[in-house]
Amino acid sequence: MGLSAFSKYLPIQEGQPWEMKTPADIISTVEFNHTGELLATGDKGGRVVIFQREPESKNAPHSQGEYDVYSTFQSHEPEFDYLKSLEIEEKINKIKWLPQQNAAHSLLSTNDKTIKLWKITERDKRPEGYNLKDEEGKLKDLSTVTSLQVPVLKPMDLMVEVSPRRIFANGHTYHINSISVNSDCETYMSADDLRINLWHLAITDRSFNIVDIKPANMEDLTEVITASEFHPHHCNLFVYSSSKGSLRLCDMRAAALCDKHSKLFEEPEDPSNRSFFSEIISSVSDVKFSHSGRYMLTRDYLTVKVWDLNMEARPIETYQVHDYLRSKLCSLYENDCIFDKFECAWNGSDSVIMTGAYNNFFRMFDRNTKRDVTLEASRESSKPRAVLKPRRVCVGGKRRRDDISVDSLDFTKKILHTAWHPAENIIAIAATNNLYIFQDKVNSEMH
Amino acid sequence: MEFKLEAHRIVSISLGKIYNSRVQRGGIKLHKNLLVSLVLRSARQVYLSDPCPGLYLAGPAGTPAPPPQQPGEPAAGPPAGWGEPPPPAARASWPETEPQPERSAVSEAPRVGDAVPAATVTGVGDVPQGGEADAAEAAWNRVDGPRQAAAGEAEDPAGGWGVFPLGSRAARRPCGCPLGGQDPPGTPAATPRAACCCAPRPAEDEPPAPPAVCPRKRGAAGVGGGPASCPAPGSTPLKKPRRNLEQPASGGEDDDAEEMETGNVANLISIFGSSFSGLLRKSPGGGREEEEGEESGPEAAEPGQICCDKPVLRDMNPWSTAIVAF
Repeated sequence: MGLSAFSKYLPIQEGQPWEMKTPADIISTVEFNHTGELLATGDKGGRVVIFQREPESKNAPHSQGEYDVYSTFQSHEPEFDYLKSLEIEEKINKIKWLPQQNAAHSLLSTNDKTIKLWKITERDKRPEGYNLKDEEGKLKDLSTVTSLQVPVLKPMDLMVEVSPRRIFANGHTYHINSISVNSDCETYMSADDLRINLWHLAITDRSFNIVDIKPANMEDLTEVITASEFHPHHCNLFVYSSSKGSLRLCDMRAAALCDKHSKLFEEPEDPSNRSFFSEIISSVSDVKFSHSGRYMLTRDYLTVKVWDLNMEARPIETYQVHDYLRSKLCSLYENDCIFDKFECAWNGSDSVIMTGAYNNFFRMFDRNTKRDVTLEASRESSKPRAVLKPRRVCVGGKRRRDDISVDSLDFTKKILHTAWHPAENIIAIAATNNLYIFQDKVNSEMH
Repeated sequence: MEFKLEAHRIVSISLGKIYNSRVQRGGIKLHKNLLVSLVLRSARQVYLSDPCPGLYLAGPAGTPAPPPQQPGEPAAGPPAGWGEPPPPAARASWPETEPQPERSAVSEAPRVGDAVPAATVTGVGDVPQGGEADAAEAAWNRVDGPRQAAAGEAEDPAGGWGVFPLGSRAARRPCGCPLGGQDPPGTPAATPRAACCCAPRPAEDEPPAPPAVCPRKRGAAGVGGGPASCPAPGSTPLKKPRRNLEQPASGGEDDDAEEMETGNVANLISIFGSSFSGLLRKSPGGGREEEEGEESGPEAAEPGQICCDKPVLRDMNPWSTAIVAF
């Protein structure tokens, strides 16, 4: 059911795609909040742009709510570490929303070194009728005050205010690659190449180190942490992936330092595929728990894999994203594309998984029907009400009319970041500096 | 042989990446550099473990233009300084840089200025008959004079020369004898110079008999790593069943080479001129077609993987034996 639904995706509204103001500002992360009402994007320039979905209009009940810019703010600035003579990039690596606990929204954003907690509030009323101050806020001449009035709240144009409530700095020596909020809503973790720290959302001056894989002698270094995430329901469990392609599930109840994993998920390497670049393409670039908490999704360079938490020996499902690149690894190594870190995403019901590829293609795999589709995020395909047409990459042999040949793929157009609405069939695709939002035409209910 | 070329190419590309990472914004990316160092290690193992004459081609050809400054020797693997970024890259420099002067002892001829090798390099296919010995010497010497790079670099036609030296130097010992497996695989950053069995001033004394050894060693086979990244089914970096096919042919090549010997120094010049431009050519299709007709056989002819000219392979053996003779 899932696939037939998503084969009919179309742009959610006119005016797409949203292009970042400065062409150099490549979108570096995309994240829906827990209700899907808000969509946050971070870019290479350190800015965060939040989109909000308009409530469905009564006038046009059939058209779904559209996403409009809600707030834009500068989250991180470039910094210079004078001690190490290092420039710290302002690029936003990850954004994670906190579960909403009051009228305000909160999110965590991080660059390579510093995590910040931002609070987003709305103001749509302002008080008027002060006794001591006039409309501009200047103090009144007391002699002119003859009576007292009670200030009243008058409506005003909606103003969205964003303020940094916490700054979690100096916790990491290496580059932060992921953050994850715990289901307890009080703690979160941040992971860099060699260490994972546990923070309390209210405490910024200390954190607990829960994983440390730094070897005593750095020359013995063989793997690094590439991604990590808390379990969606069990606040004591988290997983982290490594550059060697393995996943480690850790239980914080077992020990203070979770260097020893509870479970190790690793698939033996296929010797027939061994090459100089085997290690690179087996490095996991993203790991995501399913909404159910039963499965994990991992992305390496050529595949996405679904793992069952109960089976460590191998993934239960493997999907080829772009296997035609396997023979091109040397060229991709040369032009650095082999180091691209693609993310992956579950749909709300965990029946479909999605990931990006090159040439502005992105792929969806239906776990139930085992069918897959390749779609393209481009301006041409973004005309409103124009359904996305499935694309095909031909690898020699018979070539159909609209097929793209492997050699004509544009490797500069890569879709690294994608996000799926938590409840509906709405997807957000970041294509370099453009953001596309597509919606299922047939029905937007999750199946 | 192609594996060696491919491995060599990968080594030089990898070193270039490590070098460039030092100036990237945001500091050294540990993950990427680790991956690059793993590739470098694999390629190096492939390169070193196959002791065939092609090895010699890489060596001297290495260097008109090593990155002129010292930090041009980025560590092959995570150098000791990786504890805190940025790693002081100069630390884990390739040990080969020291013994370079020793190599000059190897080659007896008087040094020729850079001008000659430059001309040599740029004259693709043009083979000045006169002064060939000098030119060859100069080319040979250029490996020893890494610091004279600047001029050479500008004239480098093949673009990739700049990065070659490190890779090639890494692959060679001063005496020219193959490292063949003596290199402990686990030490990417420290090519153990000390492990070289040969005396520093060697080459005349020991043609480490690679030409002779080579056919035999190839028979033992499989060493030397698969087509870089080519997943030709059944072939891996460490075992290549299909390689056996090429061995008899290669053996034959060697025989022919030894006949040509140092007399055919003209080949050396043309090798310098044409070979590396071929190695760096990126067109997958072209590379593949070239391979088809090779004596070395059809192996690893994946598009995009092998890019070398026919002449390279043919000329490689005379070159290597010539070096040995030096």
